Amino acid sequence: MAISRIARAGALAAAATLALTACSTGTGGDGASGDCAPSDGPVELDFTSWLPGIDEAVAIWNEENPDIQVNVQTGPNGLGGTYQNFFNQLEAGNAPDLGQIEYDAMPNFRVQDGLENIAACEGILEAESQFVDWTWSQVTFGEEDAVYAIPQDTGPMAMFYRADLFEAAGIEVPTTWEEYQAAAEVIRGEGGYITNFSQSDINQFAGFVWQTGGQWFSNDGDSWQVNLEGEESLMVAEYWQGLLENDLVSANPPWTDEWNAAFNNSEVWTWVSAVWGANTILSGAPDTAGNWAVAPMPQWEEGASAAGNWGGSTTAVLKGSEHPYEAAQFALWLNTDADALTAMNRTAQIYPATIEGANLPVFAEGVEFYGGQEIYQVFAEAGTNVDPNFVWGPTMTQVYNDVADGFSGAISGSGTLMDALTAGQQSTIAALQAASIPVQE
Amino acid sequence: MTTTTRSPQTGASPARKGGAKQASKAVRHRGALAFFLAPFGVLFALFYVIPIGYAVYQSTLVVERDGTFGAARQVFGGFSQYISVFENEAFWQSISRVMLFGVVQVPIMLGIALILALLLDSPLVRGTKFFRLAFFAPYAVPGVIAAIMWGFLYSPNLSPFTDLTRAVPFLSGEFVLWSIANVVTWVYVGYNMLIIYSALLAIPQEIYEAARLDGAGQVRIAWSIKIPLVVPALVLTGIFSIIGTLQLLAEPQVFRSFTSTVTSDFTPNLLIYSTASVPNVSLAAAMSVVLALATFILSFTVLKLTQKRTQA
Repeated sequence: MAISRIARAGALAAAATLALTACSTGTGGDGASGDCAPSDGPVELDFTSWLPGIDEAVAIWNEENPDIQVNVQTGPNGLGGTYQNFFNQLEAGNAPDLGQIEYDAMPNFRVQDGLENIAACEGILEAESQFVDWTWSQVTFGEEDAVYAIPQDTGPMAMFYRADLFEAAGIEVPTTWEEYQAAAEVIRGEGGYITNFSQSDINQFAGFVWQTGGQWFSNDGDSWQVNLEGEESLMVAEYWQGLLENDLVSANPPWTDEWNAAFNNSEVWTWVSAVWGANTILSGAPDTAGNWAVAPMPQWEEGASAAGNWGGSTTAVLKGSEHPYEAAQFALWLNTDADALTAMNRTAQIYPATIEGANLPVFAEGVEFYGGQEIYQVFAEAGTNVDPNFVWGPTMTQVYNDVADGFSGAISGSGTLMDALTAGQQSTIAALQAASIPVQE
Repeated sequence: MTTTTRSPQTGASPARKGGAKQASKAVRHRGALAFFLAPFGVLFALFYVIPIGYAVYQSTLVVERDGTFGAARQVFGGFSQYISVFENEAFWQSISRVMLFGVVQVPIMLGIALILALLLDSPLVRGTKFFRLAFFAPYAVPGVIAAIMWGFLYSPNLSPFTDLTRAVPFLSGEFVLWSIANVVTWVYVGYNMLIIYSALLAIPQEIYEAARLDGAGQVRIAWSIKIPLVVPALVLTGIFSIIGTLQLLAEPQVFRSFTSTVTSDFTPNLLIYSTASVPNVSLAAAMSVVLALATFILSFTVLKLTQKRTQA
């Protein structure tokens, strides 16, 4: 009893200072401290990721480390199927040694006990200072002596827009959401859509809420509060509901050919997205090369500079890996080494989670597809304006699914985005209760 | 089932005659039976009985844990997952959605299959072999490929017939269920036609001769002789179709990448899939068991009803 009370007190203290924390009875149970030793002899590691061109970065490692060879398996993006594969593989006890997991899914994997605590592995705890603060707190859950993954990239948001079309139509680049709506009306008059509302990938909407300073989850150390229908969320929902009702935004399902085609044939003019979205547009809309530019995200208040964050991944050592030491070394190398970070930026346009990485020459270069603009400067600036304390709940897969179902309904005319959030609020509380995770009703 | 009921008979009747030779033969028979049944038995157990048993076991578990990230324990929870299934509105909505689908799609598909089979069987039609193959060909296309192909055909921007697909919103909330029904019909009509056609081929020629002597034309023969005689084949294809309808997964799953009107709880199997990815495997297992029972009850009811009618 005494031990658990102390642990609880410790957890409460952590909760007071850090965004994401556990009310678990302690950080033990994972047998972390002191048992992360190198394996004897050559080691082969499996690594599952959906980052385009990840094999190029891995090839650098394999050349330098003949005794630790990493095999890459690629898959669909996390919510598109890779997470489900991980959950199944973890259940079956044959998960890959390493997996790509986004920050928002970290609590979900932690709840399923799918992550190896690599804090005891050489050099991991010391690496903290290399990373942007908020990314590190996302992989430690605010626990002492715990590191559950190595941050890979961040997803500060900005606005991709068709500079050529805006100029031809004589529209000023919108700096506020009000101007954005006004621009949407003009663009609709020209036969286009200002953007596509991402109804089945809720992360973008979460990024919009993040920008306003809203929170979907919080944890007081004992239980979770779910707040999908908070003031900020409803404000954002009402704004997009208005655009949808006036047919000012298209509603193609994201990440599909139809959606790419809408960018490629100039039907859709802007996309408020994360830095890695640069890759999405340049691979999905090749005919529009040179015509895009990047500007900061529109603001709710004139003159403000708040930004949201969408995505960003980690490299996690999954539970059951026989070689956690080597896996941890690889994960650390992949996300801190200058060559690896440069390679991943070249193939996937991702923006690193390390402080040093952002100073690499590649991030000061102009990008041809974006008219030679130094787009990473815009995202670096946005990165400094992201609220570092956004909290993800422990069942995000379910939250995204349920809200997406509601949003889809709203688009085909049954209910509104606001109704979808209300329904999502209830189903999330039910899902937490079903998983016997303490939650306030 | 038939093999197991037959084996004691073949074993018992010679044994009753009393010969020791006969008895040893029966034992040898038993060995041979076991030998030939073993592969089936092993596979049946591995891929059917054990997974079902495991699903039933899984469906009785609930998760307990201390705090959010405390170690999770799976403990016996009785019927609590089943109570959740019965309280789950989305589950019953998805069931009623596929029932509506089935009520409309199955009769249309079997109707077309029956007409095509009758045409193929008619002595007036030429090129039977070609048409038989042509009607059956879509079934050779894997269901997922067929769904992708139709998805592109329906798509408002990517379709080769954009004039049509922009005017008719095939992938909208109101139409998408029927667009999927069209895909399913396209794939399975030939398969069902072939089963009915085989039944038609089994009808003895003498019956037709007698009918012709009585002055019946082709249409009359089809209506009064052929159709009543292929009713068992229609019942069989009907039951297969009902099972297939309740278990719809591939087509709607593929359509999710063409339209977001296909939600993650569109059909019972899609809902089970997305519940398993939460992951809440116990609830998903309970849903699977309920779906299997519902399928069984529905198929059995249809069988009973149609049997009664054919006997009367």
